[in-house]
Amino acid sequence: MKPLHSLERKLLSSLARDDGGLLEDVALKADMTIDQARRAVEWLRSKGMVEVGTTTRYKIEIGDEGRRAADHGLPERRLVEVLKKLGGEAELHELSKASNLTPKEFSAAFGHARVKNWIGTVSIDDKAFVKILTPDQISPEESLLKKFVSKKDLFLDELSEEEKKAVSILIKRPDYFMKRPLKTIDITLTELGMKTAETVKEVKEIDNLTPELIISGRWREHKLRPFDVEAVAPTIYPGKKHPLQRFIDEVREAFISLGFEEIAGPVIQPAFWNFDALFVPQDHPARDMQDTFYISKIKDVKIGSQDMIERVSRVHIDGGITGSRGWGYDWRLDEAKRLVLRTHTTAVTVKYLADNKVSEAKVFSVDKVFRNEKLDTKHLAELHQIEGIVVGRKVTLRDLMGVLNEFYEILGLKKVKFWPTYFPYTEPSLQSIVYVEGFGWMELCGMGIFRPEVTLPLGVKNPVLAWGGGLERLLMTKLHIEDIRKLYENNIDWLRKVPLCL
Amino acid sequence: MPVITLRYDTLKALIKGDVSTKELVDKIPYLGITLEEVVDEYMKVEYNPNRPDFSTSYGVARSLNGLLGFDKGAPSYSIDKGGVELVVDESTQEVRPFVVSLVGKGLILSDELIEEIISMQEDLHDGIGRHRRKMSIGIHNLDVLTPPITYTTVSSDFKFVPLGQKEEMKIEEILRETDVGKEYGHILYGFDRYPLLMDSFGNVLSFPPIINGELTKLRPSTRNLFIEITATDLGTADDALAVLAATLNDSGAQLESVKVSRGNSIRITPDMSFQKMKIDVKLANDLLGLKLTDQEVSESLEKSRISVISEDGRLIALIPRYRVDILHQVDLVEEIAYGYGFEKLTPTLCTSKKAGKPDETHYLIGLAREVMTGLGYIEVKNYNLVSRRALYEFTNRKPRAIVKVENPKSIECELLRDVLFPSLLMVLSRNLHEEYPQRIFEISKVFNRDARASTGVKEVYHIATAISHSTANYTEAKSSLGSLLLQAFNLKIDTIPTRHPSFIQGRVAMIKLAKYNLGIIGEIAPSVLENFKLRNPVSVSEVDLSKIVHIVKQKV
Repeated sequence: MKPLHSLERKLLSSLARDDGGLLEDVALKADMTIDQARRAVEWLRSKGMVEVGTTTRYKIEIGDEGRRAADHGLPERRLVEVLKKLGGEAELHELSKASNLTPKEFSAAFGHARVKNWIGTVSIDDKAFVKILTPDQISPEESLLKKFVSKKDLFLDELSEEEKKAVSILIKRPDYFMKRPLKTIDITLTELGMKTAETVKEVKEIDNLTPELIISGRWREHKLRPFDVEAVAPTIYPGKKHPLQRFIDEVREAFISLGFEEIAGPVIQPAFWNFDALFVPQDHPARDMQDTFYISKIKDVKIGSQDMIERVSRVHIDGGITGSRGWGYDWRLDEAKRLVLRTHTTAVTVKYLADNKVSEAKVFSVDKVFRNEKLDTKHLAELHQIEGIVVGRKVTLRDLMGVLNEFYEILGLKKVKFWPTYFPYTEPSLQSIVYVEGFGWMELCGMGIFRPEVTLPLGVKNPVLAWGGGLERLLMTKLHIEDIRKLYENNIDWLRKVPLCL
Repeated sequence: MPVITLRYDTLKALIKGDVSTKELVDKIPYLGITLEEVVDEYMKVEYNPNRPDFSTSYGVARSLNGLLGFDKGAPSYSIDKGGVELVVDESTQEVRPFVVSLVGKGLILSDELIEEIISMQEDLHDGIGRHRRKMSIGIHNLDVLTPPITYTTVSSDFKFVPLGQKEEMKIEEILRETDVGKEYGHILYGFDRYPLLMDSFGNVLSFPPIINGELTKLRPSTRNLFIEITATDLGTADDALAVLAATLNDSGAQLESVKVSRGNSIRITPDMSFQKMKIDVKLANDLLGLKLTDQEVSESLEKSRISVISEDGRLIALIPRYRVDILHQVDLVEEIAYGYGFEKLTPTLCTSKKAGKPDETHYLIGLAREVMTGLGYIEVKNYNLVSRRALYEFTNRKPRAIVKVENPKSIECELLRDVLFPSLLMVLSRNLHEEYPQRIFEISKVFNRDARASTGVKEVYHIATAISHSTANYTEAKSSLGSLLLQAFNLKIDTIPTRHPSFIQGRVAMIKLAKYNLGIIGEIAPSVLENFKLRNPVSVSEVDLSKIVHIVKQKV
């Protein structure tokens, strides 16, 4: 048997002592609030210890007019009293004036008094006279009203037959009484309840261990009531990082554990760093307004040294110092100065390479990038990019594959395939395809060795291994969501409930 | 990226040896082509725009034959000296100066081949042709034409029957009324003479880059083709012509050259001569992490359909003209890897000597996140691009120096936000029916104009917090904020009364630390709550985290 709650034990004892009855009475006898009693009854009923029956009772509630009648007498009584003061007989209009009633009230009071035979009328010389007929006697309606002098309501079944009749008469008068049906709960102990009640009486249990009991040592005199440990406890929610942030941090940890240093840079970039320095020709479709966000010009942008700009522009025109054929077109500085919301973090990476001219480095970033996309289930205009680079004298494409394998392994992705592909600023270039449990194979990071057209004009002599990819898509598979927009919807219920462990 | 359909039977007929469907499908990714869909009869594949020669089954088969060992080295093309002449009128030089041409004879045009040619033409237009702006192609039935062909210009009232029409139309009508006219007409905007190709009888071949004439339309009975490519860049025109020539050759046509003359200058097209490039074997081995001999390097390149010759003891690559993607020796390195087989490249482990570390600012910002979650706040992530309405109108703020994107696809992402709290109010307004109390925070960059910044925009990190429930108030917000700054950064702040249009007057304060103004805290004004359709009181704080990071770094 499940342990009994203190309310249950209290109610059981009370029922065994005082018998059952209406819920309100039972609660009163057991010294509980109605609410406590109701809960205890419900629990005991589910355990088969009490039976619950419901009956309908009618409650008579007194209205505003009824209240006036109870406090000051029925209008017809008040009329008779006035008549008495006038000497027991008066002319009709004289009585009306003395009564202080509106014509409507007066006519109602007059009518009721006549029906009750308290007054009568006679005509003398074309004048109507009113006189008291019967001696004073208390009507049944008045004795009923007396009961309400100190009460708001009474149950119909508490009234005598005569009083009930009075109710049915007075209820016809406006605002005297309202009759409301009321479901009442009738409680009786079952045999099991009876038996249990006896055992309950014997044990002296307490609910809570208090500091006072512990310090005084008096806990030894008490038995702590067993709780219903299976009962449902209220749900509470902790403060939490956003799942995206958790994943960003997880990826950052992976990089750091592999010996990479984090770099960061501005979101707003001259097209130069986002495109030109990466050997993306100025008429490349990726530079279209359709794909890239441009910022309205604010001031003349300074990109870098004149020499460096010249070297980069030569690469586009004819390959410059790099031995490349170049793209063979008329490169324009004003196009390179246009401001874009970076479409990849590689803009920050090449700027880092140009500023530091490193010969050895392992750096990474996990940061926001922008694409001028119409939002749908697969596309966002703002998303996060993972990016890592390794610079070294002897680093190779196979090393890059090795770094990717390690990186993926930390993120729990054990199966990786590499396929050749194309990117404008790396050569050779590879696409990595990873196996995600519960999802299947998916394309993840693209990678390659930066083209000499990218590195040489910036003063970087050693090969630069680079890889990058979107963060959201992988996270979606982990969170089992199909609509990428859900990640930025900020549904508080979802954020509260999404588990940390994916 | 462009997608083409490769039918297995078509492909197998072009492969010069036995190959199973499975081998074909397995090999495709090692050509740098992505499988999109593999079904019983065909596969759909996506190729990269640097390889326009992959725009037909013929081009893919050409490379597959190399990788599978059925063919090697650069393909050679026999081009007969043809009799067709193309005369260029000087008036074309301003609007679309370049034209190249080719004749292909004796072709059997199946429906499938016509489909492939048209799809190739469209891919070339969209890719290297930059949507016809830079280059556009016209393919015509040679037999209805009487050479010489003239490339000239006409005025806008010139009339001819365009492809797909029964009646003559004026140039201006074509531009105004037809779909292609509306789509590509902008390329000719601002010119009063329009490019046109016609034969010696004045029959119109095409009005580039908009539309061909109906007369020269390809039909299954067509045997001999005349191809013209007009362009604003000659190199691009030659690139496209080479891809077309190789494709027509492989589909069984005999190629003939065309004499293109402008005044005294004469050029014979197509030019299918090899691009010569020195091969750097050491560079290949260095970048790929291999130890290939000269012999192995040569063999690998030959498998990639590039020939290798020796000149003065040095290896020279002969690159077919249709390979428009080879700009530098590193591109040959990749070709070596293709021929060697990317599937044979194994990863190596490069161990690290140095310990990694996070960006210091990101690290310190992470501390703020730690305290906020400890205080029971839920982190939210909003977009940086927001609507003017949410940022200013709803919050009663006056737009000052906004940072605006020129070309948003929706007004919902028009401005880069300068503060975070309006986005938090938006989040609350989308979560009216979720359980209260609601306590949220966000950390993100915000964007403000600043003449001292190199781009004119200063980017700093902010943290904003918001609490919403029936008794949410200033005191609770201040307790959280005080805890955040003390616990995360050991800083004690002052709150100085101020005014702010988004907040209740008398319940809003400036957050100060010594001389620094760090942000704002207060109870949101009921009028603002109404704008966001919020029903519970909301208290908000917003702090410049970058400034805090700056202060903390100074103290250390």
